Amino acid sequence: MHDISRRDAVRSIAIAGAAAALPFSAHAQEAFKIGNLAPLSGPAAAFGIGINRGIELAAEDIGVFEVAGKRYRVESVPYDTSLDPGKTVAALNRAVLNDNVRYGFILGAAVHGAVLPIIRQNGFFDIFMGAAGKEITNAENPTVFRFMASSDQLYYTFTPDIYRKLNIKRVAFMGPNNDLGRSDVKVLKDIAASLKSDGVEFVGEELIELNAKDFQAALLRLLARKPDAIDTNASPTGTVGLIAKQARELGYKGYFISSTAVLEARALVNVAGKGADGIIAYRIWSSSPSPLYDQIAERHLQKYKEPTLGTVWEAYAATRWVVEAIQKAGSFETRKVAEVLAQSTFAGHPYGPASWGGDKTYGARRQIQTPLPASIIKDGSWTPLDVRMGKLD
Amino acid sequence: MTQPSSRALGPALILVLLVLPFVATNYWLHVAIVVLMNITYTVALCAVLRMGYLSLGHAGFIALGAYTSVVLSVRFGVSPWFGIVAAAAMSGAVAWGLGALTLRLRGIYFSLAVFAFGEIVVAIARAFDWLGGPSGIANVPRPSFFGIKLDTHFAFYWLAMVVAVAVVAFFARLEQTRFGATLLTLKTESSERLAESVGVDAAAHKTACFAMSCAAVGAMGAVHSMYLLFVNPQVFSFLMSTDLVIYAMIGGTTGFWGPVLGAGVLTALGEQLFSAGYWKTLVYALILMAVILVVPGGLTAVSGLWKRELAPRSGR
Amino acid sequence: MGLTLFLQALAIGVVNGALYILTALGLTLIYGILHIVNFAHGELYMLGAMLVYLLFVAMEWPLWAAVPVIVALSVLAGFAVERTIFRRLRGQWLQLLVATVGVSLIIQSVSWIAFGAQEKTVPSVLEGVLLLGSVRVPIERLAAASIAMVLVAILYLIVYRTRTGLAMRAIEEDEETARMPRVDTDRVAGIAVALGFALAALGGVFVAPIYSINPGMGLEAILMSFIIIIVGGLGSITGTVVAGLLIGIIQAVGALTLGAEAAHVLVFVAMIAMLVFRPQGLMGRVR
Repeated sequence: MHDISRRDAVRSIAIAGAAAALPFSAHAQEAFKIGNLAPLSGPAAAFGIGINRGIELAAEDIGVFEVAGKRYRVESVPYDTSLDPGKTVAALNRAVLNDNVRYGFILGAAVHGAVLPIIRQNGFFDIFMGAAGKEITNAENPTVFRFMASSDQLYYTFTPDIYRKLNIKRVAFMGPNNDLGRSDVKVLKDIAASLKSDGVEFVGEELIELNAKDFQAALLRLLARKPDAIDTNASPTGTVGLIAKQARELGYKGYFISSTAVLEARALVNVAGKGADGIIAYRIWSSSPSPLYDQIAERHLQKYKEPTLGTVWEAYAATRWVVEAIQKAGSFETRKVAEVLAQSTFAGHPYGPASWGGDKTYGARRQIQTPLPASIIKDGSWTPLDVRMGKLD
Repeated sequence: MTQPSSRALGPALILVLLVLPFVATNYWLHVAIVVLMNITYTVALCAVLRMGYLSLGHAGFIALGAYTSVVLSVRFGVSPWFGIVAAAAMSGAVAWGLGALTLRLRGIYFSLAVFAFGEIVVAIARAFDWLGGPSGIANVPRPSFFGIKLDTHFAFYWLAMVVAVAVVAFFARLEQTRFGATLLTLKTESSERLAESVGVDAAAHKTACFAMSCAAVGAMGAVHSMYLLFVNPQVFSFLMSTDLVIYAMIGGTTGFWGPVLGAGVLTALGEQLFSAGYWKTLVYALILMAVILVVPGGLTAVSGLWKRELAPRSGR
Repeated sequence: MGLTLFLQALAIGVVNGALYILTALGLTLIYGILHIVNFAHGELYMLGAMLVYLLFVAMEWPLWAAVPVIVALSVLAGFAVERTIFRRLRGQWLQLLVATVGVSLIIQSVSWIAFGAQEKTVPSVLEGVLLLGSVRVPIERLAAASIAMVLVAILYLIVYRTRTGLAMRAIEEDEETARMPRVDTDRVAGIAVALGFALAALGGVFVAPIYSINPGMGLEAILMSFIIIIVGGLGSITGTVVAGLLIGIIQAVGALTLGAEAAHVLVFVAMIAMLVFRPQGLMGRVR
């Protein structure tokens, strides 16, 4: 099925065979290795696998590219981190010291604390996929770019509009007991405080274990405060589905709001059934933003025999944009490429025109800016909510 | 037991350990460091195993040592060298206490008690913010040796090697002493009663051995955290405890080479099969099953079996 | 904390407790008869859930066909494992324990490879919530809890009312007694393991629609099973029932009053305390 190492083996054999078959070694391409340090197993595996596929699809479209007179092909090198900091450190060590990989996707805000020193020491180019905020994308990390929307950006520019639109007054939080969950609670409280004049009130929080499956007791406590909306940010799809299901079983009729998890509607409906109605997610497109978006979805379905995983589009765009920047810079030197990248814009992002922002908020211009929507599940499928994300300074 | 051939292997091994850092690349130094740590843990585990007890929570004592050292050096600015000593002391002391309570339980009861303890350690680490909570503590300082900070793989290798050799030599020597011999007599309940009937304080012996084993892994745990430059509750989980048991069982629990080879070979293999993930687990498990069913003494017992097959039947 | 909340927590605790009982029964039986801690128990539970996903959801078999097939497969697996592994290592508790760890790792890694990493869901067959006053009990959980009780009853019947059960208890009591004529130790051991495997798999089958399933769910199951059988008494069916309910209630009420993390630690502390002060558990006999 979709198992990485077998595909690796096949690809290596195929590449070896192809290379052996080339008559003129002068035209042989070198591999431009892009690492993928993400969970490829465990509950968050869909994220890592999606990135792999995004890189592969981008590699197909890029084909062979030229830098400083030599020809290259994009090659993805996967490392399964299971979202564990220890494994991510080991993977990065191996990538940098043994496999000569200088560019890579590193997924997870929670694992970054451990790897940032290594990144800084080696000038590794980190295509960062994860939320959190300026702890990671800041002036001290010149080769770390966040290629997806950050927590605070999503929270600050989406939430007030959504609350107003849906008349949400009492808001609670249920999320994982880790860095991400805790910083999200802080941000949510901050936003609620700023909307006090609209009657918004933060009524309670429950921090749960990341892999927990039973939230009944925690929900019981939370529901006693009668929230209109429960913010389920920072939890993966399965968890959000279970929270929704169990909350509905306890009689909850309000909304669930999730900003950073890439949620699959079908997965949510499978778990929560009718209970999934009322789940709101940022970053989910219920109507396609561009022909490229549809094209990628179509190719994914054909190639991998299942609907597109959430991280595929952003990984595709990141790969293509980085390669473009490398070509523009004329070298693979990561700091140089970083400078070129920060000044550029990208027209080929499936979500729409992309640029960089964050100078004021983070002290560095390394936060991606793309149009992003919000959607709500109605009758088992995503329908658009008429709100758009604002830009981050 | 100590035949001429194996006596020569000891110094040869030392030679390899001394030469290695000068010829190996950074990546292989990384592998070597991880191998040394695992060998240390496994040797300590085997010391407890040899007296008839299976600890399913050794990772908890590794964690205890790591967290002690990290909290002292990060929160209180204490020197990492002292951190290592404190880690050993903390793990040893707690093990003494736990051992006093649980070593009278045999078999699976003891194993599950230690396992529960391991889970509690991890849960406590996760629950308190000043212990880092679920994300742990980063920016762990590395020690300096006469002014040279052990920042590179080359430099750190020496620290790992010294600690590993110290622990392994200690337990190898312990086996040769009367204390070590006494421990072997406590392996089963009936033999323990026999030993007590001739005046052996079984409880004290067992508790001491358990405490020493945990002190050793605690010290290496501190070194481990310095290597990773951070510590968090997921690194020292139940899965690590079972990994150590697998190394011990495959390598063989008796003798010196069992745990050393078991941990060494399997760790090195594991690093190479890295991206294989579940394949690595599957391969380990299959080897384990093969060893258990065919050679229950572990792979290092194979040579013993072989010799028995080849030796002439007639008396010597 | 209001009465309604407390009653709801109690209801959650009792139902969850029944689910724990369902999960732990197989482990209890195998330990009770053969004194083997089957570390593969959690993985068998996971396989039960995975197989019901494979047969019922992916291959769209009807439930009345899928469940018996799963039971049959686990029974066969039980006989096979007893014959090849347990029998060979009889008497060596360390090797047996590690062997079951090996089996569990094999099942786990093969499942990851075969089923992939994505979480799967088995859709609920019974939707809806039962209202008892102001207390809400989801019907599908109630159904699983009821099945747990039925299985406990069946197990009692087998162990205490059949000749095979008598033979099982004879083996447990004293292997010498069992070696008397008319008790085929090997056959009875095989039946015990087969039954234990089937119970583990059934646990997974009936809990599958309640939560999502993935190849890693075995670990949680065996952790909980360990706690239950330690507190209840290794090998005691009554102990498993009492401990299951007790732990379920402690967890639910504890989480309501102290928070989920504290309740978690509390349960492990209870386990150690039980081991230290009363190793035979609540209902076990002193060995």
